[in-house]
Amino acid sequence: MKGLLTILRRSPRAAFGVGLLAALLLLALLAPLLTPYSPTSQAFGTWLKPGGEHLLGTTALGQDIWSQLVYGARLTLLIGFTAGLVATAIGTALGLSAAYFGGRTDEAINVLINVFLVLPGLPLLIIASAFLRGGGVWSIILVIALTGWAWGARVLRSQALALRNRDFVQAAIVSGERPARIIFAEMLPNLAGLIAAGFFSTALYAVLSEAALAFLGMGDVSQVTWGTMMYWAQARGALLQGAWWWVAAPGLCIALLGTAFALVNFGIDEVTNPRVIHEARATRVLRRNRAAPQAEPALEPPQPLLAIRHLSAGYVTPQGPVRAVRDVTLSVAPGEFLGLAGESGCGKSTLAFAATRLLDAPGVVFDGEARLAGQDLLALNPAELRRVRWKDYSLVFQASMNILNPVLRIREQVYDAMQAHGVQDRGRLEARARELFALVGIREDYLNAYPHQLSGGMKQRVVIAIALALEPKLVVMDEPTTALDVVVQRQILQEIDAVRKRLGISIVFITHDLSLLVEMSDRIAIMYAGEVVEEAPAHELYAQPKHPYTRRLMGAFPPLEGPRERREGIPGRPPSLAQDIPYCPFFERCPNHLPGTCDVFKPARVEVTSGHSVACFLHSPAVKEEAYAAD
Amino acid sequence: MPQTEPHARSTAKPNAADEPAPALILEGLTKVFQVGRSGRSVTAVNNVTLSIGRGEVLGLVGESGSGKSTIARLIAHLHEPTSGAMCLAGKPVPRQLRGRALTRFRKDVQMIFQDPFASLNPLHTIGYTLARPLEIHGFARKGNVQAQVSTLLDRVGLSPGASYAAKRPHELSGGQRQRVVIARALAARPELILADEPTSALDVSIRLDIMNLLLDLRDQEGLSMLFITHDLAGARYMSDRIAVMYAGYLVEIGPAERVIGQPQMPYTQLLKRAAPKPEGNLNAGGLEAPGEIPDLANLPPGCPFEPRCPHARAVCRAGLPRMYDVGAGHQARCILHDPELAAQPLLHPALQPHATL
Ligand SMILES: Nc1ncnc2c1ncn2[C@@H]1O[C@H](COP(=O)(O)OP(=O)(O)OP(=O)(O)O)[C@@H](O)[C@H]1O
Ligand SMILES: Nc1ncnc2c1ncn2[C@@H]1O[C@H](COP(=O)(O)OP(=O)(O)O)[C@@H](O)[C@H]1O
Ligand code: SF4
Ligand code: SF4
Ligand SMILES: [Mg+2]
Ligand SMILES: [Mg+2]
Repeated sequence: MKGLLTILRRSPRAAFGVGLLAALLLLALLAPLLTPYSPTSQAFGTWLKPGGEHLLGTTALGQDIWSQLVYGARLTLLIGFTAGLVATAIGTALGLSAAYFGGRTDEAINVLINVFLVLPGLPLLIIASAFLRGGGVWSIILVIALTGWAWGARVLRSQALALRNRDFVQAAIVSGERPARIIFAEMLPNLAGLIAAGFFSTALYAVLSEAALAFLGMGDVSQVTWGTMMYWAQARGALLQGAWWWVAAPGLCIALLGTAFALVNFGIDEVTNPRVIHEARATRVLRRNRAAPQAEPALEPPQPLLAIRHLSAGYVTPQGPVRAVRDVTLSVAPGEFLGLAGESGCGKSTLAFAATRLLDAPGVVFDGEARLAGQDLLALNPAELRRVRWKDYSLVFQASMNILNPVLRIREQVYDAMQAHGVQDRGRLEARARELFALVGIREDYLNAYPHQLSGGMKQRVVIAIALALEPKLVVMDEPTTALDVVVQRQILQEIDAVRKRLGISIVFITHDLSLLVEMSDRIAIMYAGEVVEEAPAHELYAQPKHPYTRRLMGAFPPLEGPRERREGIPGRPPSLAQDIPYCPFFERCPNHLPGTCDVFKPARVEVTSGHSVACFLHSPAVKEEAYAAD
Repeated sequence: MPQTEPHARSTAKPNAADEPAPALILEGLTKVFQVGRSGRSVTAVNNVTLSIGRGEVLGLVGESGSGKSTIARLIAHLHEPTSGAMCLAGKPVPRQLRGRALTRFRKDVQMIFQDPFASLNPLHTIGYTLARPLEIHGFARKGNVQAQVSTLLDRVGLSPGASYAAKRPHELSGGQRQRVVIARALAARPELILADEPTSALDVSIRLDIMNLLLDLRDQEGLSMLFITHDLAGARYMSDRIAVMYAGYLVEIGPAERVIGQPQMPYTQLLKRAAPKPEGNLNAGGLEAPGEIPDLANLPPGCPFEPRCPHARAVCRAGLPRMYDVGAGHQARCILHDPELAAQPLLHPALQPHATL
């Protein structure tokens, strides 16, 4: 249910399709209210023109066409939905069994699927229905379902195979779950979108097949469906008589139904299939509209490429707002490598997503601004955002190797971002793709591969290549290498760094691996509980960390040398981000905290030496005004 | 056996005849995967022999694709070994397990997966995820499942447990998810935990917390553990002994301090050099053996590391080097430990050796 709502909200096309479908359903359900006549009554004059008593005129036998249309909707939809359901059920059962049991079972089912896929649909339908002649509606439904399940089964099988190798399914197996439970409780719910899509496709197939069969006179032509209406109109030479509406009305209805199914399907696909470039996302911005931003007093040179000012962002939950980013001000100079570190849950990803308008609902930006080369990203509408994103800036996500679509070749996914921004020429796409692969150090032949054929490190390089495709000025990388081993990590980082120097791009690099950051960055910002508590040139931060939190963070990794002894992490936990924090957020865990000061006032971030700013009363007595305590 | 002193580390030294059988013994474990229709075969784990003592943590390091996860999956019976034998607590484990026997085995051997974002079903609540192993393995009596679930959550530092049980994975941070994953592994009260890079998706401070949590659990409950990681410092911190894998082969194994402190195989040395060092500058050094990750379907005939090895000799191409004893309980698969073979001239003088043995 929630899934349906998401789809409707995110995809206007799907919403339109669902509306259309609902209208057609209403037509069928309310048939008796919409027309006073029976669809089979022949009590009227023949070949009447539309208008007056008969909205769409009458047939050669004197039946009311409008009545036939609305009553015909009932049977047509019944056949469509039931055949769709039966076919989807068969396809789902077989596809899932094949994926779960693998081996022989999989092979047998796969052969079956392929046999049904190569059998030509319509002739098979005709032969089968000839045998089942006189069986009425149900035999038609059965025949259509039996010829239509294989396509869905194939798609489902391949997706379920990918799902079966996902960690959570493996984890369920290791914990001792039985197959039935794994299939129905773990895998099935995660395939819901795909199954729904399969259902709508086969329902469409069923409606069209029924129409085709009826039109050829193979169905039960005594029943009223849109298909049989067209059969009779054809048989009685409606067009020769000039009664084109007799043909057009059912034809148009079938076309509408087809459109509705296709639109719904499209929406499901749009929402459930991850695409690397996230076209559809645009974070909600709640900030109060201020007076048009004052022409800012010319920013101190060098002008930053990305300027984040007083940004507050977070999540709107049923328990109230969570402020995961609190009044953050940060800038990135052209060509700069900015590192962003801090412990898990401190808001690094939220900051990166919010500033780039990629934060998904329930995420919102509460206040502040994020300017990329002077343009306020938070003021853009979704269409403008789409134009800027990926061209002016791009992102590499945490665990983004999982973002590659498992059923598409790498090549298509590399093309995708470029195509979305108007590069259509195959030759140019291919040349650029090869160039990018050379840039990040992958052999070109992997363009033909599917994601599962690549190792984690290679997938990560692909994602980085995609992020560089349109030569953006800024790349935000959220823990791009965390899951990789040290050797690969170092190679990728060396490549990223070389690319940055060559193309002069800026990089915001998020990681919790402070030792790595110190090695890579020009400047580092340390986040804690949604705030930037310290910011300094990398080597200076390493040599002279000022904030007690930074110092603890530095000590939190076990050394490669020296005595092997227990180290404590940072005892305690960060404060809940659902509350206001009108004091130093670190005071409960801080070994140096000044009672009566740190737990009463909030330290302001102050530049204590050139380029090195810190928010801590040990270094500056400045108190910060709470910007948002009032709301 | 439970350690009473919190900082104590069990030693793997067999000191008495009545020493209980090791928690796990692997003998010549091999796994060959058939890739694709062509039937190309890939040996992900090649003839690996090792053991894990009771209450011992064995660290397993190596680059991605070296077969670390495959070993864990073989032990967990997620894959069936191509050949080799395995003993759990002294009892041989049949290569194929079904039904009841499999469930009983699953109770004793639990796994923690690398990516806490992927190893929890996004559609289930934490409470459901933790209740399942309790139900499957018969620890749940009606009514007390909730209580057990919140005790589990409290034990892994998610308190109050009851408030976490109602959440879904997407509402938790990475570190919190990994604690849930650990709680799930503990639910069945296993004897052996296979932790497949449990910390590599976590940030540094949480990483230390999770490692401490695992060490505490080891100390309190005498758990044995296979701790897979690519973070050498983490492996050194966690493990009593460390095993290094390369391209499916076990290439070095020994006491943690010695393997990291004085690595005796060029690949382990490379790993050590690649570890992040804040003092260093990324571009100053560069890496001496960058090279490609080996293609498992096309390994060189001899030492798997030979194409990248700055010390390679002609003999390294001739056949797989054997394991040489290089210290107390310390072995390395490298011909440099044979003085005669080590005297041969270098094969790739271009790969300037940086450190010598
Ligand atoms: N969908 C959500 N609904 C409610 N709260 C959320 C949601 N997503 C994240 N949060 C909360 O927002 C805070 C910041 O999360 P964020 O993902 O930005 O952290 P992070 O610094 O990137 O951590 P990590 O290093 O684990 O990736 C956390 O307290 C988290 O629990
Ligand atoms: N199910 C599988 N089918 C085919 N090859 C596999 C499968 N699982 C792993 N491999 C291959 O085996 C090798 C070792 O993989 P893995 O054990 O996951 O490495 P690690 O955990 O050390 O990163 C890799 O080359 C991988 O591609
Ligand atoms: S302001 Fe006080 S509590 Fe906060 S970090 Fe500084 S000394 Fe510690
Ligand atoms: S055996 Fe030869 S190639 Fe292999 S690591 Fe030793 S010196 Fe290098
Ligand atoms: Mg994050
Ligand atoms: Mg692995």
